[in-house]
Amino acid sequence: MLVPLYGFLEGDTLGLVVLVHDDDRVHAIAEQLQLAACVRVAPRTHAQVYFRGQRLDPELTVSEAGLAPLDRIDVVPEEKG
Amino acid sequence: MPKLKRDDWIDLARKLDWDYSYVREEDVFPEILSGRPWLPHAEWQHWDEPYRTSYEDYVNTQSDKDAIFHGVREAVGRIEDFAKLDRSWLNGLKLHAATMAFTEFGAGLGDIRAARFGRDSAWRTMALFGALDEFRHTQIPLLLMHELVGWDPQFDWTHRLFHTNNWMAIAMRHLVDEMCVGTDPLEFAIATNLVLETGFTNLQFIGLSAVAHDVGDRMFEKMVTSIQTDEARHAQIGHPVIATLIRHDPERAQYLVDKWFWRSWCVFAVVTGFSMDYLTPLAARRTSFKEFMEEWITDQFQKTLTAFGLKRPWYWDFFIEAIDIYHHMVYASTYTYRATVWFDFALPGPEERAWLREKYPRTWDMLDPVWERITERWRTSGPGIEWSTQGATLPGFCNLCQLPMSNGTPRANAARVVEHRGRKYIFCSEPCAWIFSREPERYADHKGVVERILAGEAPANVVKLTREYFGVTADVRGKDMLIGRYPWLRAHRNEPGSEV
Repeated sequence: MLVPLYGFLEGDTLGLVVLVHDDDRVHAIAEQLQLAACVRVAPRTHAQVYFRGQRLDPELTVSEAGLAPLDRIDVVPEEKG
Repeated sequence: MPKLKRDDWIDLARKLDWDYSYVREEDVFPEILSGRPWLPHAEWQHWDEPYRTSYEDYVNTQSDKDAIFHGVREAVGRIEDFAKLDRSWLNGLKLHAATMAFTEFGAGLGDIRAARFGRDSAWRTMALFGALDEFRHTQIPLLLMHELVGWDPQFDWTHRLFHTNNWMAIAMRHLVDEMCVGTDPLEFAIATNLVLETGFTNLQFIGLSAVAHDVGDRMFEKMVTSIQTDEARHAQIGHPVIATLIRHDPERAQYLVDKWFWRSWCVFAVVTGFSMDYLTPLAARRTSFKEFMEEWITDQFQKTLTAFGLKRPWYWDFFIEAIDIYHHMVYASTYTYRATVWFDFALPGPEERAWLREKYPRTWDMLDPVWERITERWRTSGPGIEWSTQGATLPGFCNLCQLPMSNGTPRANAARVVEHRGRKYIFCSEPCAWIFSREPERYADHKGVVERILAGEAPANVVKLTREYFGVTADVRGKDMLIGRYPWLRAHRNEPGSEV
């Protein structure tokens, strides 16, 4: 099932709507959002995904992480990336 | 027979209320149409304003103004005059004309309602003049820009914008419908006459007018000067209305001021913020948008609040921070979605970025990396390749102001998701969420761009969405003003013919 999420990449100037599948891994959301925002923010190899202030395990699936349509997630690139 | 002096008869012509014998006052002026709190006319009978214009005064003055305006148009309002203007300024003009012409028309409709349901006859008379003013303010830009359509089809959006489903049209209609078209005269007087016309329109009438003078756009300068003299008169409607409201319901007075100050700010930050800090050539910039806001809006507005015994809006600290960054966030975002709008964008070069850094020392470090990234992509792609600096993923839009989710900072976007009756709403900021929460029934059913896509009413593909739903066709779609052909970009690339 497709899940539209509001994604906010640290360093970017706006939020984007990213469409993910409920069985996608959390790390894939970070990659997808970074790709979507790459016009404005250079992608990094490593990034963390946050939901309601909590860092999500990158190996969880979207549904396992409890993400539902139109939730807000934040992606924070890591310096080392 | 000698004529009476004006002051001896003017009140006979403008104070025409009487006690009703066959109907109740509540039926002549129902609360839903006249506004709340509903008060008997006795509470409004001293309504007054300083202009005290008669119909004869109005017609004579407006006739003179129009004669002057048409004279100026004959002299400096032709295509060849506009063709001499700086390209970035012309694009600010396209943005301004398209967003403001039908906003004025909406204000005319609000004034007409006030001309019938305003609670004192002097108020109704002034509102009628206000309506005539606003239709004039609609017609002037439509007339001026129509002549330019054959030269540059993007000017067609002066008329077209409000009739499309472009995201900026959705945002403008959401504002204008609530502020002017679908509201009562009391709220209209606070929102439009008090907050907008004595506050934010200074950005146009003083700020942009001065810039227009400096860039040599005499027509725009004269147009806004001519409009300003009307606004200064009908803006006076707001003061006696809020004075009465404060006496009877100060909490509602504060609420309406807080709400409309925020809603006005969001739109003016985009329209005027873009124009002053990005679409005015550097040599003609006198002050930054922020400096102008501080001098003409925040200081003046605080004086008005103090004069009426009102407090600053609860979100004041957030607003002060937003003056430093919000329009920059939206400009950078919209630059990378420029094909979704009808005007072209300027890419700020080294000199512009140095100027912005000097004017916005607190926030520019957060924004400059975005421009560095965009610039880098232009350097990689070379000039003429528009797509490499444009986004292809759908942006999020606020469910209140309908503008992109660009409040806060690049480090901490201020958006928040709220659930109301089983539906999720996203707001770009705390004030937008607060406005929604005060009157959810007023806003809850409105669908923003994202909800329209999810409901299958609009295509999800951004290219199709732009062309088929936003109505932006290839001949008018926004581009980088020079399609990346900036001398400073060439210099960096060390291309043959580089200017160093």
